[in-house]
Amino acid sequence: MHGKPHVKVEDLTIAYRGEYVFNGDGFEVEGPGLVTVIGPNGAGKTTLFRAIMGLVKPLRGRVYVNGEDVTGSPGRAGRHIGYVPQLAHVYRGFPLTGRELVELSLRLRGRPPRLHVPRGVRERAERYLRAVGAERFADRPVSRLSGGQLQRILIARALARETPILVMDEPLSAIDPRGKEGIARIIEETARDKLVFVSSHDPIMFLHRSKYLMVVNRGIKGFGSPEKTFRLELLRHAYGGSVYMIEKCIHVFER
Amino acid sequence: MLDPRWVLVVVAAATAFGSLSPVVAARKLYYFASSLPHAALLAAVLGYPLAAELGGDPAVWALAVGVPLSYIVVYLVERGVEEDVATAVFVSFSVASSVAAIYYVLTRYSVGTSLWSLIIGDPLLASWRDAWWAAGVAAGVAGAALLFYREQVVIGVDRDFAATAGLRVVLYDYLVVTALAVAAIGLLKAVGFVVEHVFILLPSAAAVNVSRNSGEALAASILSSLFAGLAGLILGVYLDVAPSAAIGFVLLGVYLASLGVREK
Ligand SMILES: Nc1ncnc2c1ncn2[C@@H]1O[C@H](COP(=O)(O)OP(=O)(O)OP(=O)(O)O)[C@@H](O)[C@H]1O
Ligand SMILES: [Mg+2]
Repeated sequence: MHGKPHVKVEDLTIAYRGEYVFNGDGFEVEGPGLVTVIGPNGAGKTTLFRAIMGLVKPLRGRVYVNGEDVTGSPGRAGRHIGYVPQLAHVYRGFPLTGRELVELSLRLRGRPPRLHVPRGVRERAERYLRAVGAERFADRPVSRLSGGQLQRILIARALARETPILVMDEPLSAIDPRGKEGIARIIEETARDKLVFVSSHDPIMFLHRSKYLMVVNRGIKGFGSPEKTFRLELLRHAYGGSVYMIEKCIHVFER
Repeated sequence: MLDPRWVLVVVAAATAFGSLSPVVAARKLYYFASSLPHAALLAAVLGYPLAAELGGDPAVWALAVGVPLSYIVVYLVERGVEEDVATAVFVSFSVASSVAAIYYVLTRYSVGTSLWSLIIGDPLLASWRDAWWAAGVAAGVAGAALLFYREQVVIGVDRDFAATAGLRVVLYDYLVVTALAVAAIGLLKAVGFVVEHVFILLPSAAAVNVSRNSGEALAASILSSLFAGLAGLILGVYLDVAPSAAIGFVLLGVYLASLGVREK
C-alpha cells in the first residue's frame, strides 16, 4: 500500500424498512489521524462503520478506500481496514481463548486448510497482545473476560492485521475510567501513523486527540476539525435537547 | 458378542456427530440442527418411492432431496429472515410434508419395517452395506467438519470480523448446512430420528462445560460422543434395550457429569 490512507464516501444512502439512516451523505478523509464519530443511540454510527467495511450494501452510493471501490465487499475493505466491532456483537458462549481469537483471525486470508498456526502468526499475535496489555489474560476463555479485557483483545486482533486504516466501534464502552485512558492512549498512538475511526459516547476522551470530528444523527450533521465542529448549536441539533453532558465536555475542550 | 458391523455403524455415527456438534455450538445452530432430523425423515421416506419409480438407491435419493431442501434456511437467512424464524418455517414444512409422505408411502409401498428403523434407529439391524455406507458418510462429514472447524468458530464468534478478515462467510454457511444435512440424512437409519437430536446437540453441550479453548471443545465432543456410542451399544446388547435409546441416556449422563465438572 502506498500513499496516505484515504477514505471517501459518496452519496451514501441506507434505509431499513423504508426509514433512512443515511440519505445522500458523503465525506472524505486522509490520514494519518483520528476521526471521532459521535451521535446518540440509533444515530447510525455502527451503520456508517459497517458501510465503510463493506458489510452493508447501500441502496445508493459508493465507498472508496485507498482509491479502491469496496462498496458492499467486506473482503476488499478488510484488506485496507482492521475492524473492532461493538462489544455486544461478539458471541462469547463458546470456549475460545483471546489468543486463539487473534491467531485464528490472522490466518483467514489465503487458501484453506488452515490447520496449524505458523510461528510467524504466533509471534505477531503475541506482539500485539502485549502492545495492548492483554498478555496476562490472553489465555483465558473469552467467556471469562471482563468487558474491558475483551475489548483489548479485540483491539489487538484488529491491530495485528497491520492495515493502514482501523475502524473501532465504541472501543471505550464497558471500560472503567482508568482503563479508558489506557485504551484511548493506545488508539492515539495508533493514529500517529494510521487513519483511525472511532465512535464514542464519551467524546471527552477523544476530542483533543482527534483530527476530525463527525456528528451523526440520521445523516452526517457535521464534519470537520473538532474546533469547528464541536459547537453547541450543532450538537443540540444532533442530540436534541439533551446536551447537558455535552456542555460539560465543551468546557473541558475549551480549556 | 458385538458384531463388527454394529461397532462400525456406531463409531461412524459418533465420529460424525461428535465433530459436527461443536460447530453447531459455535455457530449457535442448535435450533436449526435439531430441526434437521425432521427434514432427514422426510427425505429418507421420499427416497423409497423415488428409487422404486426411477431406479437407484433410496439412500442416495434421500440425500439428493434432503440436502437442497435444507438450503431453504440459508436462502431465507440471506434474504434477511431471522435464523430462528427461517428454521421455524423450515421445520413446519418438513414435519407437515413428512407426515404426508409417510402416509403416502405406507399406503402404496411395502416398506413398513424400514420406516420403523428410521424412526427408532437400530444399529443391530445394519448389514455390511449399511455399515460401509455409514462409514463413508461419516468420513465425509467429519472430514469437512474438522477441516473447517476453526473458520466456523471464528464466524460464530464474530461474523462481521470474519468477513472483513477475508472469509467468504456465505460459503461456510452452505458448508455447515451441507455437512449437517448429509449427516442427519445419511446416518438416520443408523441412529434413528429420535436419538439423532441428542447426538447432534449433547456432545458439544457437554464439551463446552469442560473446555477452555476450541481445540479442547472439539476433542471433548468427539470423545464423549464415541464413549456414549460404544457404551450405549454395549448396554443395549447386554441389557436388551434399544441401543440408540441407551446411547441417548449415556450422553445425557455425560452431560450431567460435565455440569458437575463446570461447577468446580
Ligand atoms: N440490520 C438492521 N435491521 C434493521 N434496522 C437496523 C439494522 N441495523 C441498524 N438498524 C437501524 O438503523 C438505525 C441506526 O442504527 P446504528 O446501530 O447504526 O446506530 P448507532 O449510532 O450505532 O447506535 P448505538 O449508539 O446504540 O450503537 C437504528 O434505528 C437501527 O434500528
Ligand atoms: Mg452502534
